[in-house]
Amino acid sequence: MSLTLTCPICGERNGYEFRYGGEDKGPRPDRARLTPEQWCDYVHMNDCVAGVQKEWWFHRDGCGAWFTTHRDTRTGLETDGPDNAART
Amino acid sequence: MFGKSKRLWPRAPMKTAYDAVIIGGGLHGLATAYFLARDHGITDVAVIEKNYIGFGGAGRNTAIVRANQRTQENVPLYKEALDLWPVLTKELDFNLMFYNCGNLNLAHGEATLKAMRLNVATAQFHGVKSQLVDPKECKELVPALDISDRPRYPVFGGMYHPPGGIVRHDAVVWGLAKGAAKRGVHIHQGTEVAGIGTSQGKVVSVETDRGKIHTPRVLNAAGGYAAALSHAFLRQRLPISVLTIQAMVTQPLKPLLDHVVSSGTYHCYGNQTLKGEIATGAHMDPWPNYTTDTTAYYIKHQAEALTEMLPCLKGVKFMRHWAGLADMTPDMAPIMDGNDPIEGYYVDCGWGYFGFKSSTVTGKYMAQFMAKGECPDILKPFQLKRFQEHRLMGETAALVNYSPDN
Ligand SMILES: Cc1cc2nc3c(=O)[nH]c(=O)nc-3n(C[C@H](O)[C@H](O)[C@H](O)COP(=O)(O)OP(=O)(O)OC[C@H]3O[C@@H](n4cnc5c(N)ncnc54)[C@H](O)[C@@H]3O)c2cc1C
Ligand SMILES: [Zn+2]
Repeated sequence: MSLTLTCPICGERNGYEFRYGGEDKGPRPDRARLTPEQWCDYVHMNDCVAGVQKEWWFHRDGCGAWFTTHRDTRTGLETDGPDNAART
Repeated sequence: MFGKSKRLWPRAPMKTAYDAVIIGGGLHGLATAYFLARDHGITDVAVIEKNYIGFGGAGRNTAIVRANQRTQENVPLYKEALDLWPVLTKELDFNLMFYNCGNLNLAHGEATLKAMRLNVATAQFHGVKSQLVDPKECKELVPALDISDRPRYPVFGGMYHPPGGIVRHDAVVWGLAKGAAKRGVHIHQGTEVAGIGTSQGKVVSVETDRGKIHTPRVLNAAGGYAAALSHAFLRQRLPISVLTIQAMVTQPLKPLLDHVVSSGTYHCYGNQTLKGEIATGAHMDPWPNYTTDTTAYYIKHQAEALTEMLPCLKGVKFMRHWAGLADMTPDMAPIMDGNDPIEGYYVDCGWGYFGFKSSTVTGKYMAQFMAKGECPDILKPFQLKRFQEHRLMGETAALVNYSPDN
Protein backbone atom coordinates (compact mmCIF):
# COMPACT_ATOMS: atom_id res chain seq x y z
CA MET A 1 0.00 0.00 0.00
CA SER A 2 1.34 3.42 -0.77
CA LEU A 3 1.90 6.09 1.81
CA THR A 4 -0.55 8.80 2.73
CA LEU A 5 0.19 11.34 5.43
CA THR A 6 -2.10 13.49 7.51
CA CYS A 7 -1.05 17.11 7.31
CA PRO A 8 -2.41 19.02 10.33
CA ILE A 9 -3.75 21.67 7.94
CA CYS A 10 -4.64 19.89 4.69
CA GLY A 11 -5.65 16.48 6.04
CA GLU A 12 -4.78 13.14 4.44
CA ARG A 13 -2.68 13.56 1.29
CA ASN A 14 -0.50 11.45 -1.03
CA GLY A 15 2.92 10.77 0.50
CA TYR A 16 4.81 12.01 -2.56
CA GLU A 17 3.59 15.56 -1.76
CA PHE A 18 5.75 15.58 1.35
CA ARG A 19 9.41 15.79 2.13
CA TYR A 20 10.71 13.50 4.87
CA GLY A 21 12.50 15.51 7.57
CA GLY A 22 14.25 12.82 9.57
CA GLU A 23 13.74 10.88 12.79
CA ASP A 24 12.55 13.01 15.69
CA LYS A 25 15.70 13.31 17.80
CA GLY A 26 14.34 15.73 20.39
CA PRO A 27 15.64 19.24 20.95
CA ARG A 28 18.88 20.40 19.35
CA PRO A 29 21.72 19.88 21.86
CA ASP A 30 22.95 22.84 23.83
CA ARG A 31 25.96 24.50 22.17
CA ALA A 32 27.82 24.99 25.39
CA ARG A 33 30.05 22.02 26.24
CA LEU A 34 28.94 20.17 23.09
CA THR A 35 31.33 17.29 22.28
CA PRO A 36 31.99 16.01 18.73
CA GLU A 37 30.35 12.73 19.79
CA GLN A 38 27.13 14.43 20.83
CA TRP A 39 27.01 16.59 17.73
CA CYS A 40 27.69 13.65 15.42
CA ASP A 41 25.00 11.70 17.24
CA TYR A 42 22.46 14.45 16.73
CA VAL A 43 23.34 15.22 13.12
CA HIS A 44 24.09 11.83 11.61
CA MET A 45 23.02 8.90 13.75
CA ASN A 46 19.66 7.18 13.35
CA ASP A 47 17.80 4.47 15.25
CA CYS A 48 16.57 2.91 11.98
CA VAL A 49 13.79 1.22 13.91
CA ALA A 50 11.91 -1.56 12.17
CA GLY A 51 8.63 -0.55 13.82
CA VAL A 52 6.91 2.65 14.86
CA GLN A 53 8.99 5.82 14.90
CA LYS A 54 8.27 9.49 15.47
CA GLU A 55 9.44 11.55 12.53
CA TRP A 56 9.38 14.98 10.90
CA TRP A 57 7.61 15.82 7.64
CA PHE A 58 7.29 18.93 5.50
CA HIS A 59 4.24 19.46 3.27
CA ARG A 60 6.37 20.59 0.35
CA ASP A 61 3.78 20.48 -2.44
CA GLY A 62 1.05 21.78 -0.15
CA CYS A 63 0.70 24.27 2.64
CA GLY A 64 4.35 24.22 3.71
CA ALA A 65 3.70 23.03 7.27
CA TRP A 66 6.32 21.12 9.28
CA PHE A 67 4.88 18.51 11.64
CA THR A 68 5.72 15.26 13.41
CA THR A 69 3.83 12.03 13.06
CA HIS A 70 4.18 8.35 13.99
CA ARG A 71 4.66 5.80 11.26
CA ASP A 72 5.39 2.07 11.19
CA THR A 73 8.46 1.58 8.99
CA ARG A 74 7.48 -2.06 8.38
CA THR A 75 4.21 -1.11 6.68
CA GLY A 76 4.88 2.49 5.69
CA LEU A 77 1.58 3.46 7.35
CA GLU A 78 0.89 6.21 9.85
CA THR A 79 -0.13 5.12 13.33
CA ASP A 80 -2.09 6.95 16.01
CA GLY A 81 0.82 7.01 18.39
CA PRO A 82 3.94 5.16 19.46
CA ASP A 83 2.04 1.85 19.79
CA ASN A 84 1.50 -0.45 16.82
CA ALA A 85 -2.08 0.38 15.92
CA ALA A 86 -2.42 1.44 12.30
CA ARG A 87 -4.61 4.48 11.76
CA THR A 88 -7.95 3.50 10.29
CA MET B 1 18.97 -36.44 -20.95
CA PHE B 2 19.59 -34.51 -17.75
CA GLY B 3 21.63 -35.88 -14.89
CA LYS B 4 20.15 -36.06 -11.44
CA SER B 5 20.32 -32.53 -10.06
CA LYS B 6 22.66 -32.10 -7.13
CA ARG B 7 22.47 -29.53 -4.37
CA LEU B 8 25.11 -26.84 -4.78
CA TRP B 9 25.83 -26.86 -1.07
CA PRO B 10 25.01 -29.43 1.59
CA ARG B 11 22.70 -28.87 4.54
CA ALA B 12 24.87 -28.47 7.63
CA PRO B 13 24.21 -29.34 11.27
CA MET B 14 23.83 -26.36 13.62
CA LYS B 15 26.72 -26.34 16.07
CA THR B 16 26.83 -24.56 19.41
CA ALA B 17 30.17 -22.87 18.69
CA TYR B 18 31.93 -21.44 15.63
CA ASP B 19 35.18 -19.52 15.10
CA ALA B 20 33.19 -16.84 13.30
CA VAL B 21 29.51 -16.10 12.76
CA ILE B 22 28.24 -13.98 9.89
CA ILE B 23 24.82 -12.36 10.09
CA GLY B 24 23.23 -12.24 6.65
CA GLY B 25 23.47 -14.57 3.66
CA GLY B 26 23.78 -11.77 1.14
CA LEU B 27 26.76 -11.19 -1.11
CA HIS B 28 28.89 -9.50 1.51
CA GLY B 29 28.30 -12.19 4.12
CA LEU B 30 28.88 -15.08 1.72
CA ALA B 31 31.97 -13.45 0.18
CA THR B 32 33.49 -12.85 3.61
CA ALA B 33 32.85 -16.47 4.57
CA TYR B 34 34.40 -17.65 1.32
CA PHE B 35 37.56 -15.59 1.77
CA LEU B 36 37.89 -16.47 5.48
CA ALA B 37 38.12 -20.06 4.34
CA ARG B 38 40.13 -19.51 1.16
CA ASP B 39 42.76 -17.06 2.40
CA HIS B 40 42.96 -17.56 6.15
CA GLY B 41 42.14 -21.20 6.79
CA ILE B 42 39.23 -20.15 9.00
CA THR B 43 36.66 -22.71 7.93
CA ASP B 44 34.69 -23.10 11.15
CA VAL B 45 32.31 -20.38 10.05
CA ALA B 46 28.51 -20.08 10.12
CA VAL B 47 26.50 -17.84 7.82
CA ILE B 48 23.15 -17.20 9.51
CA GLU B 49 20.41 -16.13 7.13
CA LYS B 50 16.91 -15.24 8.32
CA ASN B 51 15.19 -16.00 5.02
CA TYR B 52 17.09 -17.66 2.18
CA ILE B 53 20.43 -16.66 0.69
CA GLY B 54 19.95 -13.90 -1.85
CA PHE B 55 16.69 -12.76 -0.25
CA GLY B 56 17.93 -9.18 0.25
CA GLY B 57 19.70 -6.76 -2.04
CA ALA B 58 21.80 -9.68 -3.28
CA GLY B 59 18.90 -11.04 -5.32
CA ARG B 60 17.16 -7.76 -6.13
CA ASN B 61 19.86 -5.52 -7.57
CA THR B 62 20.17 -4.52 -11.20
CA ALA B 63 23.63 -6.08 -11.34
CA ILE B 64 25.59 -3.14 -12.68
CA VAL B 65 29.33 -3.20 -12.10
CA ARG B 66 31.79 -0.35 -12.70
CA ALA B 67 34.84 1.39 -11.24
CA ASN B 68 34.38 5.04 -12.20
CA GLN B 69 33.56 6.45 -8.77
CA ARG B 70 34.52 9.93 -7.70
CA THR B 71 37.09 9.51 -4.95
CA GLN B 72 40.60 8.13 -4.60
CA GLU B 73 39.56 5.86 -1.73
CA ASN B 74 36.75 4.18 -3.65
CA VAL B 75 38.20 3.65 -7.11
CA PRO B 76 41.00 1.15 -6.18
CA LEU B 77 38.50 -1.00 -4.27
CA TYR B 78 36.02 -1.10 -7.15
CA LYS B 79 38.79 -1.66 -9.69
CA GLU B 80 39.97 -4.74 -7.83
CA ALA B 81 36.35 -5.90 -7.70
CA LEU B 82 36.03 -5.58 -11.50
CA ASP B 83 39.23 -7.55 -12.01
CA LEU B 84 37.92 -10.33 -9.75
CA TRP B 85 34.89 -11.38 -11.87
CA PRO B 86 36.82 -13.46 -14.43
CA VAL B 87 39.07 -14.87 -11.69
CA LEU B 88 36.13 -15.96 -9.52
CA THR B 89 34.25 -17.39 -12.48
CA LYS B 90 37.12 -19.86 -12.92
CA GLU B 91 37.85 -20.40 -9.26
CA LEU B 92 34.23 -21.04 -8.25
CA ASP B 93 33.67 -23.08 -11.41
CA PHE B 94 30.44 -21.17 -11.83
CA ASN B 95 29.47 -18.96 -14.76
CA LEU B 96 28.97 -15.49 -13.26
CA MET B 97 28.01 -14.22 -16.73
CA PHE B 98 30.13 -11.06 -16.67
CA TYR B 99 28.84 -9.09 -19.66
CA ASN B 100 31.54 -6.48 -20.20
CA CYS B 101 29.39 -4.03 -22.18
CA GLY B 102 30.67 -0.74 -20.72
CA ASN B 103 28.71 2.06 -19.05
CA LEU B 104 27.59 5.35 -20.54
CA ASN B 105 26.57 8.11 -18.11
CA LEU B 106 24.75 10.98 -19.74
CA ALA B 107 25.28 14.63 -18.88
CA HIS B 108 22.52 17.12 -19.61
CA GLY B 109 24.41 20.28 -18.69
CA GLU B 110 27.82 21.83 -18.10
CA ALA B 111 27.72 21.26 -14.33
CA THR B 112 27.35 17.49 -14.75
CA LEU B 113 30.06 17.39 -17.38
CA LYS B 114 32.37 19.25 -15.01
CA ALA B 115 31.73 16.66 -12.31
CA MET B 116 32.44 13.94 -14.87
CA ARG B 117 35.79 15.53 -15.70
CA LEU B 118 36.77 14.98 -12.09
CA ASN B 119 35.58 11.36 -12.17
CA VAL B 120 37.46 10.71 -15.39
CA ALA B 121 40.65 12.25 -13.99
CA THR B 122 40.42 10.10 -10.86
CA ALA B 123 39.81 6.97 -12.93
CA GLN B 124 42.67 7.65 -15.34
CA PHE B 125 45.02 8.37 -12.42
CA HIS B 126 44.22 4.89 -11.09
CA GLY B 127 44.59 3.23 -14.47
CA VAL B 128 40.85 2.71 -14.98
CA LYS B 129 39.56 3.34 -18.51
CA SER B 130 37.07 6.20 -18.52
CA GLN B 131 36.63 9.07 -20.94
CA LEU B 132 34.41 12.01 -21.77
CA VAL B 133 32.29 11.76 -24.91
CA ASP B 134 30.29 14.33 -26.87
CA PRO B 135 26.64 13.85 -27.93
CA LYS B 136 27.64 12.47 -31.33
CA GLU B 137 29.82 9.85 -29.70
CA CYS B 138 26.98 9.02 -27.29
CA LYS B 139 24.78 8.40 -30.32
CA GLU B 140 27.44 6.17 -31.88
CA LEU B 141 27.54 4.11 -28.70
CA VAL B 142 23.74 3.98 -28.35
CA PRO B 143 22.09 4.57 -31.75
CA ALA B 144 18.62 4.55 -30.16
CA LEU B 145 19.49 7.57 -28.03
CA ASP B 146 17.69 10.83 -28.84
CA ILE B 147 20.37 13.55 -28.98
CA SER B 148 18.09 16.15 -30.57
CA ASP B 149 16.66 19.22 -28.82
CA ARG B 150 13.32 17.46 -28.34
CA PRO B 151 13.77 15.93 -24.84
CA ARG B 152 13.21 18.06 -21.80
CA TYR B 153 16.88 17.57 -20.90
CA PRO B 154 18.85 17.23 -24.16
CA VAL B 155 22.08 15.23 -24.11
CA PHE B 156 25.06 17.53 -23.55
CA GLY B 157 27.80 14.91 -23.34
CA GLY B 158 28.70 11.89 -21.30
CA MET B 159 31.23 9.68 -19.59
CA TYR B 160 32.04 6.31 -21.12
CA HIS B 161 33.59 3.58 -19.01
CA PRO B 162 34.44 0.47 -21.10
CA PRO B 163 35.51 -1.96 -18.30
CA GLY B 164 32.11 -2.01 -16.56
CA GLY B 165 28.98 -3.96 -17.38
CA ILE B 166 26.59 -6.50 -15.90
CA VAL B 167 27.15 -9.62 -13.80
CA ARG B 168 24.47 -12.21 -13.05
CA HIS B 169 23.80 -11.49 -9.35
CA ASP B 170 22.10 -14.81 -8.49
CA ALA B 171 25.05 -16.66 -9.94
CA VAL B 172 27.38 -14.77 -7.60
CA VAL B 173 25.21 -15.72 -4.60
CA TRP B 174 25.11 -19.38 -5.57
CA GLY B 175 28.75 -19.54 -6.67
CA LEU B 176 30.01 -18.05 -3.41
CA ALA B 177 27.70 -20.29 -1.34
CA LYS B 178 28.94 -23.33 -3.22
CA GLY B 179 32.59 -22.28 -2.85
CA ALA B 180 32.27 -21.43 0.83
CA ALA B 181 30.37 -24.64 1.68
CA LYS B 182 32.94 -26.72 -0.17
CA ARG B 183 35.59 -25.27 2.11
CA GLY B 184 33.63 -26.14 5.24
CA VAL B 185 31.45 -23.08 5.90
CA HIS B 186 28.00 -23.85 7.31
CA ILE B 187 25.12 -21.94 5.72
CA HIS B 188 22.02 -21.86 7.92
CA GLN B 189 19.00 -20.54 6.08
CA GLY B 190 15.68 -19.83 7.78
CA THR B 191 17.55 -18.87 10.94
CA GLU B 192 17.23 -15.47 12.57
CA VAL B 193 19.86 -13.77 14.69
CA ALA B 194 18.12 -12.21 17.69
CA GLY B 195 21.02 -10.80 19.68
CA ILE B 196 24.75 -10.54 20.21
CA GLY B 197 26.20 -11.49 23.58
CA THR B 198 29.18 -9.53 24.92
CA SER B 199 31.25 -9.82 28.06
CA GLN B 200 33.88 -7.32 29.22
CA GLY B 201 33.80 -5.50 25.91
CA LYS B 202 34.20 -8.64 23.81
CA VAL B 203 31.82 -10.65 21.63
CA VAL B 204 31.14 -14.05 23.18
CA SER B 205 27.99 -15.33 21.51
CA VAL B 206 25.19 -14.88 19.06
CA GLU B 207 21.56 -15.56 19.95
CA THR B 208 19.45 -17.22 17.26
CA ASP B 209 15.95 -18.67 17.07
CA ARG B 210 17.66 -22.08 16.93
CA GLY B 211 19.71 -21.53 20.05
CA LYS B 212 22.84 -19.79 21.27
CA ILE B 213 26.10 -19.97 19.34
CA HIS B 214 29.38 -19.30 21.13
CA THR B 215 31.81 -17.32 19.03
CA PRO B 216 34.58 -14.74 19.45
CA ARG B 217 33.80 -12.95 16.16
CA VAL B 218 30.67 -11.79 14.48
CA LEU B 219 30.15 -9.83 11.29
CA ASN B 220 27.02 -7.76 10.81
CA ALA B 221 26.41 -8.08 7.07
CA ALA B 222 22.64 -7.80 7.24
CA GLY B 223 22.38 -5.32 4.35
CA GLY B 224 19.37 -3.03 4.74
CA TYR B 225 18.72 -4.46 8.21
CA ALA B 226 22.26 -3.93 9.53
CA ALA B 227 21.58 -0.55 11.13
CA ALA B 228 18.39 -1.72 12.85
CA LEU B 229 20.20 -4.79 14.22
CA SER B 230 23.17 -2.74 15.37
CA HIS B 231 20.83 -0.48 17.32
CA ALA B 232 18.61 -3.27 18.65
CA PHE B 233 21.44 -5.63 19.69
CA LEU B 234 24.20 -3.27 20.82
CA ARG B 235 22.59 0.19 21.12
CA GLN B 236 25.08 1.31 18.48
CA ARG B 237 23.46 3.84 16.17
CA LEU B 238 24.69 4.26 12.61
CA PRO B 239 24.49 7.20 10.19
CA ILE B 240 22.12 5.31 7.93
CA SER B 241 18.71 5.85 6.37
CA VAL B 242 17.00 2.78 4.94
CA LEU B 243 15.03 3.54 1.79
CA THR B 244 13.18 1.40 -0.73
CA ILE B 245 14.55 1.31 -4.24
CA GLN B 246 12.54 -0.04 -7.16
CA ALA B 247 13.46 -1.69 -10.43
CA MET B 248 11.58 -3.24 -13.34
CA VAL B 249 12.00 -5.05 -16.65
CA THR B 250 10.19 -4.71 -19.96
CA GLN B 251 9.09 -7.44 -22.29
CA PRO B 252 12.01 -8.91 -24.29
CA LEU B 253 13.04 -6.93 -27.38
CA LYS B 254 15.46 -7.44 -30.26
CA PRO B 255 18.97 -6.21 -29.41
CA LEU B 256 19.03 -2.41 -29.39
CA LEU B 257 21.12 -1.39 -26.40
CA ASP B 258 24.73 -2.55 -26.09
CA HIS B 259 25.73 -0.56 -22.99
CA VAL B 260 24.46 0.35 -19.57
CA VAL B 261 22.99 3.84 -20.00
CA SER B 262 22.28 6.12 -17.08
CA SER B 263 21.24 9.66 -16.40
CA GLY B 264 21.34 11.28 -12.99
CA THR B 265 19.14 14.11 -14.21
CA TYR B 266 16.37 11.72 -15.27
CA HIS B 267 17.01 9.50 -12.19
CA CYS B 268 17.01 6.56 -14.53
CA TYR B 269 19.35 3.86 -15.72
CA GLY B 270 18.87 0.84 -17.94
CA ASN B 271 20.48 -1.94 -19.86
CA GLN B 272 19.32 -4.73 -22.10
CA THR B 273 19.63 -8.12 -20.46
CA LEU B 274 20.91 -11.16 -22.30
CA LYS B 275 17.24 -12.24 -22.57
CA GLY B 276 16.42 -8.98 -24.35
CA GLU B 277 14.47 -7.25 -21.59
CA ILE B 278 15.29 -3.66 -20.72
CA ALA B 279 16.13 -3.78 -17.00
CA THR B 280 15.80 -0.37 -15.47
CA GLY B 281 16.05 1.21 -12.09
CA ALA B 282 15.07 4.50 -10.58
CA HIS B 283 15.93 6.71 -7.65
CA MET B 284 14.99 5.65 -4.13
CA ASP B 285 11.59 6.13 -2.59
CA PRO B 286 12.03 9.26 -0.49
CA TRP B 287 11.20 8.04 3.02
CA PRO B 288 12.76 5.35 5.22
CA ASN B 289 10.95 2.05 5.40
CA TYR B 290 11.44 -1.70 5.47
CA THR B 291 8.65 -2.56 3.05
CA THR B 292 9.65 -3.71 -0.37
CA ASP B 293 6.50 -2.24 -1.90
CA THR B 294 6.43 -1.10 -5.49
CA THR B 295 4.45 1.96 -6.51
CA ALA B 296 2.60 3.13 -9.62
CA TYR B 297 4.46 6.42 -9.20
CA TYR B 298 7.70 4.77 -10.29
CA ILE B 299 6.18 2.89 -13.22
CA LYS B 300 5.08 6.25 -14.62
CA HIS B 301 8.38 7.91 -13.72
CA GLN B 302 10.37 5.15 -15.37
CA ALA B 303 8.23 5.06 -18.51
CA GLU B 304 8.58 8.83 -18.92
CA ALA B 305 12.32 8.95 -18.29
CA LEU B 306 13.19 5.94 -20.48
CA THR B 307 11.16 7.13 -23.47
CA GLU B 308 12.64 10.60 -23.22
CA MET B 309 16.12 9.14 -23.67
CA LEU B 310 15.20 6.18 -25.89
CA PRO B 311 11.98 7.14 -27.74
CA CYS B 312 11.83 3.79 -29.57
CA LEU B 313 10.71 2.23 -26.25
CA LYS B 314 7.33 4.00 -26.43
CA GLY B 315 4.54 1.43 -26.11
CA VAL B 316 6.83 -1.30 -24.75
CA LYS B 317 5.32 -3.07 -21.72
CA PHE B 318 6.81 -3.55 -18.29
CA MET B 319 6.61 -7.20 -17.29
CA ARG B 320 7.91 -7.32 -13.72
CA HIS B 321 8.54 -4.76 -11.02
CA TRP B 322 10.18 -5.27 -7.63
CA ALA B 323 11.91 -3.41 -4.81
CA GLY B 324 14.66 -3.84 -2.26
CA LEU B 325 16.25 -1.85 0.51
CA ALA B 326 19.08 0.67 0.23
CA ASP B 327 20.95 1.55 3.43
CA MET B 328 22.24 5.02 2.66
CA THR B 329 24.95 6.98 4.46
CA PRO B 330 25.27 10.78 4.17
CA ASP B 331 28.45 10.53 2.08
CA MET B 332 27.34 7.69 -0.18
CA ALA B 333 30.21 5.53 1.01
CA PRO B 334 29.93 2.32 3.04
CA ILE B 335 30.86 1.68 6.66
CA MET B 336 33.42 -1.06 7.18
CA ASP B 337 34.71 -1.29 10.68
CA GLY B 338 35.50 -3.66 13.51
CA ASN B 339 36.88 -4.17 17.00
CA ASP B 340 35.72 -0.70 17.99
CA PRO B 341 34.44 -0.33 20.63
CA ILE B 342 33.48 -4.02 21.01
CA GLU B 343 36.24 -6.53 20.36
CA GLY B 344 35.20 -9.14 17.85
CA TYR B 345 32.26 -7.18 16.46
CA TYR B 346 32.61 -6.26 12.79
CA VAL B 347 30.27 -4.37 10.54
CA ASP B 348 30.04 -4.09 6.76
CA CYS B 349 27.04 -2.02 5.67
CA GLY B 350 25.90 1.30 4.26
CA TRP B 351 26.22 -0.07 0.75
CA GLY B 352 23.04 1.62 -0.40
CA TYR B 353 22.25 0.88 -4.02
CA PHE B 354 25.88 0.22 -5.01
CA GLY B 355 27.02 -2.77 -2.95
CA PHE B 356 26.73 -5.52 -5.53
CA LYS B 357 29.72 -4.49 -7.60
CA SER B 358 32.03 -4.37 -4.58
CA SER B 359 30.80 -7.42 -2.70
CA THR B 360 33.57 -9.86 -3.56
CA VAL B 361 36.50 -7.56 -2.90
CA THR B 362 34.88 -6.33 0.30
CA GLY B 363 34.53 -9.94 1.42
CA LYS B 364 38.21 -10.45 0.75
CA TYR B 365 39.30 -7.51 2.91
CA MET B 366 36.69 -7.99 5.66
CA ALA B 367 37.93 -11.59 5.93
CA GLN B 368 41.49 -10.28 6.36
CA PHE B 369 40.22 -7.80 8.98
CA MET B 370 38.42 -10.57 10.90
CA ALA B 371 41.32 -13.01 10.66
CA LYS B 372 44.07 -10.58 11.68
CA GLY B 373 42.05 -8.25 13.90
CA GLU B 374 43.56 -5.21 12.18
CA CYS B 375 41.87 -3.02 9.61
CA PRO B 376 43.51 -3.42 6.17
CA ASP B 377 44.78 -0.07 4.79
CA ILE B 378 42.37 -0.12 1.86
CA LEU B 379 39.38 -0.20 4.28
CA LYS B 380 40.65 2.44 6.71
CA PRO B 381 38.96 5.42 5.04
CA PHE B 382 35.59 3.68 5.53
CA GLN B 383 35.63 3.52 9.32
CA LEU B 384 32.69 4.84 11.32
CA LYS B 385 34.65 7.50 13.16
CA ARG B 386 34.93 9.56 9.98
CA PHE B 387 31.51 11.04 10.75
CA GLN B 388 32.62 12.31 14.12
CA GLU B 389 35.84 13.65 12.69
CA HIS B 390 34.10 15.46 9.82
CA ARG B 391 36.10 13.43 7.30
CA LEU B 392 33.14 12.50 5.18
CA MET B 393 33.99 11.05 1.81
CA GLY B 394 33.41 13.02 -1.32
CA GLU B 395 31.39 10.51 -3.33
CA THR B 396 28.75 13.22 -3.52
CA ALA B 397 29.71 16.86 -3.85
CA ALA B 398 27.56 17.82 -0.86
CA LEU B 399 26.26 16.08 2.22
CA VAL B 400 22.98 14.32 1.55
CA ASN B 401 19.87 14.22 3.61
CA TYR B 402 17.63 11.63 2.02
CA SER B 403 14.56 13.16 0.48
CA PRO B 404 12.95 13.56 -2.94
CA ASP B 405 15.03 16.66 -3.53
CA ASN B 406 18.23 14.75 -4.05
C1 LIG C 1 16.60 -2.48 -6.74
C2 LIG C 1 18.07 -2.48 -6.40
C3 LIG C 1 19.02 -2.25 -7.39
C4 LIG C 1 20.37 -2.26 -7.10
N1 LIG C 1 21.26 -2.13 -8.12
C5 LIG C 1 22.59 -2.25 -7.89
C6 LIG C 1 23.51 -2.22 -8.97
O1 LIG C 1 23.12 -2.10 -10.14
N2 LIG C 1 24.83 -2.33 -8.69
C7 LIG C 1 25.30 -2.47 -7.41
O2 LIG C 1 26.51 -2.53 -7.22
N3 LIG C 1 24.44 -2.54 -6.37
C8 LIG C 1 23.10 -2.45 -6.57
N4 LIG C 1 22.22 -2.53 -5.51
C9 LIG C 1 22.75 -2.64 -4.13
C10 LIG C 1 23.12 -4.04 -3.69
O3 LIG C 1 22.12 -4.95 -4.05
C11 LIG C 1 23.32 -4.06 -2.16
O4 LIG C 1 24.19 -3.02 -1.77
C12 LIG C 1 23.95 -5.37 -1.68
O5 LIG C 1 23.24 -6.47 -2.16
C13 LIG C 1 23.98 -5.39 -0.14
O6 LIG C 1 24.83 -6.37 0.35
P1 LIG C 1 24.38 -7.89 0.65
O7 LIG C 1 24.16 -8.61 -0.63
O8 LIG C 1 25.41 -8.46 1.53
O9 LIG C 1 23.02 -7.64 1.44
P2 LIG C 1 21.62 -8.43 1.40
O10 LIG C 1 21.48 -9.28 0.20
O11 LIG C 1 20.57 -7.43 1.67
O12 LIG C 1 21.82 -9.42 2.62
C14 LIG C 1 21.43 -9.18 3.92
C15 LIG C 1 20.78 -10.46 4.43
O13 LIG C 1 20.64 -10.38 5.84
C16 LIG C 1 19.51 -11.11 6.19
N5 LIG C 1 19.11 -10.73 7.54
C17 LIG C 1 18.51 -9.58 7.95
N6 LIG C 1 18.27 -9.61 9.25
C18 LIG C 1 18.74 -10.79 9.72
C19 LIG C 1 18.78 -11.41 11.01
N7 LIG C 1 18.29 -10.81 12.10
N8 LIG C 1 19.34 -12.64 11.11
C20 LIG C 1 19.83 -13.28 10.03
N9 LIG C 1 19.82 -12.73 8.78
C21 LIG C 1 19.28 -11.51 8.64
C22 LIG C 1 18.50 -10.76 5.11
O14 LIG C 1 17.48 -11.72 5.01
C23 LIG C 1 19.38 -10.68 3.87
O15 LIG C 1 19.37 -11.87 3.10
C24 LIG C 1 20.83 -2.49 -5.76
C25 LIG C 1 19.89 -2.71 -4.76
C26 LIG C 1 18.53 -2.73 -5.05
C27 LIG C 1 17.56 -3.00 -3.95
ZN1 LIG D 1 -0.54 20.81 4.36
